[in-house]
Amino acid sequence: MIRLDDVTKTYSEGNVALRRANADIAKGEFVFLVGPSGSGKSTMLRLMNKSEEPDSGRIFVAGKDIGELSNWKVPMLRRNIGSIFQDYKLLPNKTVAENVSFALEVIGRPRAVIKTQVPQILDLVGIGDKADKQPHQLSGGEQQRVSIARAFVNRPLILLADEPTGNLDPQTAIGIMRLLDRINKTGTTVVMATHDAKIVDTMQRRVIQLDTGNIVRDEREASYG
Amino acid sequence: MAIRFDYLAKETGTNLVRNPSLTIAAVLTVAVSLALLGFSLVFREGVSRVSERWSDDVEFIVWMRPDATDDQIASVDQKLADNPLVTDHSYVNREATFAEFREYYADTPEIVETVEPAQLPTSYRVVPAASELAFVDSLGQEYEGQPGVSDVVFAGEFIKQLNAITGLAISGVTVVAAVAAVAALLLMYNTIRTAVFARRREVEVMKLVGATNWFVRIPFMLEGLVQGLIGAGLAVLAMFGVNRMIRDSQAASELDFINSFVLQPADLGPISLWLLAAGAAIGAIGSGFAVTRYLDA
Ligand SMILES: Nc1ncnc2c1ncn2[C@@H]1O[C@H](COP(=O)(O)OP(=O)(O)OP(=O)(O)O)[C@@H](O)[C@H]1O
Ligand SMILES: [Mg+2]
Repeated sequence: MIRLDDVTKTYSEGNVALRRANADIAKGEFVFLVGPSGSGKSTMLRLMNKSEEPDSGRIFVAGKDIGELSNWKVPMLRRNIGSIFQDYKLLPNKTVAENVSFALEVIGRPRAVIKTQVPQILDLVGIGDKADKQPHQLSGGEQQRVSIARAFVNRPLILLADEPTGNLDPQTAIGIMRLLDRINKTGTTVVMATHDAKIVDTMQRRVIQLDTGNIVRDEREASYG
Repeated sequence: MAIRFDYLAKETGTNLVRNPSLTIAAVLTVAVSLALLGFSLVFREGVSRVSERWSDDVEFIVWMRPDATDDQIASVDQKLADNPLVTDHSYVNREATFAEFREYYADTPEIVETVEPAQLPTSYRVVPAASELAFVDSLGQEYEGQPGVSDVVFAGEFIKQLNAITGLAISGVTVVAAVAAVAALLLMYNTIRTAVFARRREVEVMKLVGATNWFVRIPFMLEGLVQGLIGAGLAVLAMFGVNRMIRDSQAASELDFINSFVLQPADLGPISLWLLAAGAAIGAIGSGFAVTRYLDA
C-alpha cells in the first residue's frame, strides 16, 4: 500500500530529516513510527501524502509513484489518505457536524450523501450526541474523535496519525487506540507516529524505529524499545 | 469538479459576516479608492467640457467706430458674408449693445444714465470656420484696417490659456486616477491577505482533506467580489451625492462654468458601471492572488 524506496529528505537548513529510508507497508497493516524527538517521524508521514517532496528516492502509494503525480492530482491522492494530528486541527467556528461535513463538501459530495454519512460516522466514533457542539465545548478525547470522523468519513485507504494521543490522558488515549484499531480492522492501513511506549507495547504491532533520520529497526508484533 | 451552489453561498455568506472588521476594511478600502478614481473621472469629464464649451464659442468681435457710416457698415457686412472662412456673423446694433451695457452695469444705474444708445459703437460677432488660434488671428486681422472699423477683439488669448490649464488638469487627474486604481488593488490585496491569513487553518484543512486549489480559491474570490462590489457601490453613491451637491450649490447658480462639472445620469451611468466592474475585478483578482500564497504550502 505504501512503499518508500531509498527516500532522503533534507530541509533547507541542511539537516537531514530522513536518510535513505526503505519500508514496505502492506494493505491493512497497522504500523507504529517511534523514535526520539526530531528523528523524522512526522517528516515520513508528510512525505506519504505529498505534503513534502523527497530530495531523492521514490514513494509509492497504492502502487503509484506519487513523485510523478502532477500538482492537480494531489487532491485525489489526499482523498484516499486520512490524516489526524496531536492538535486535532478542527475549525473552531464550525460545529462538530459541520467540521465533518466540511470535509465532504470540499470534495464535492452531494448534499444527500453528506446528510446520511455525517451522523453515521459520528455514531461510529462515539460522539453522535455531540453533533451540534463547538469544538471548544468538547474534551480533548472527544475533539480527537471528531478529527478521526473527519479523516475517516470518506473511507480512505490509509490513515496517517501523528501523535494522536499526545495531548490525552492514558485512559482517553486507550479509547482513541480502540477506535483506530477498529478502523484498521475495516481494512484501512494505519501509520501512527507516537512517543507512547505503553500503547505500542500493549498493541504489539509492527514498529519502525527512527533515529536522526535513519530507520534503525523494523520489526513485526514488536514493543516500543 | 463541481462546486455546489448552496455550499458556495453559505461559505461566502458566513465568511463575510464572521470577520466583520476585515470585511468592513476591505469594503471601505475599495470604496475610498474607487471614489477617488470616480471623482477624477468626473473631474476629467468636467474639465474637457469646460474647454469644449469655450472652444465652440471661439469668435472675434469687429467693433465699428461710433461714427461709422452706413456704407462702411454695409461693406464690412458684405465682406463677412462673402468670406468662406466665416461660418457665421451677426450684427449687434446700438439698441442691443445698449441693452447689454445696461445689463452689465445693472448694479450702477448712474453709469447707465450717462450713456445714450446713439453714443455706443455697433459690432459684428464673428464665428470662424475653424477654431485654431492662428487661423482665427489671421482672419481677424483682415478686418482690422477696414474703413469704419475701430478694433478687432479676440477671445484667443483667453482660450489659449484655458487650453493650457485644462491640458495640465487632465493629465494631473489622469495620474491621480491611475494611482488611485493601483492603490485600490494593493490595499485590497493586502486586506484580503490578512483575511486569508486569519483563515489559513481552514485552507490547511481543506488541502488536507483533498480540496482542489480552485475549490479553495473560489469562495475567497467570491467573497472578494462581493466586497469589491459593495465598495464600488458606495463609491458610486458618493459620486452621485457629490454631483448633486455641486449642482445644488450656491456656486453653481452663480458661476456658469461650475455647471460643466455637473454630470447628467447618462454620463454618470457609464462611469458607475466602470467603477462597479473595477470593484468586482479588484476584489476577485486580489483575493485569488492572496489565497494562492497559501495553496502551494
Ligand atoms: N518544516 C521544517 N523545516 C525545517 N526543518 C524541519 C521541518 N520540519 C522538521 N524539520 C527538522 O527535521 C527533523 C525531523 O523532524 P520531524 O518533525 O520529522 O521529527 P519527529 O520525529 O516528528 O519529532 P517529534 O517527535 O518531536 O514530533 C528535525 O531535525 C526537525 O528540526
Ligand atoms: Mg513529529
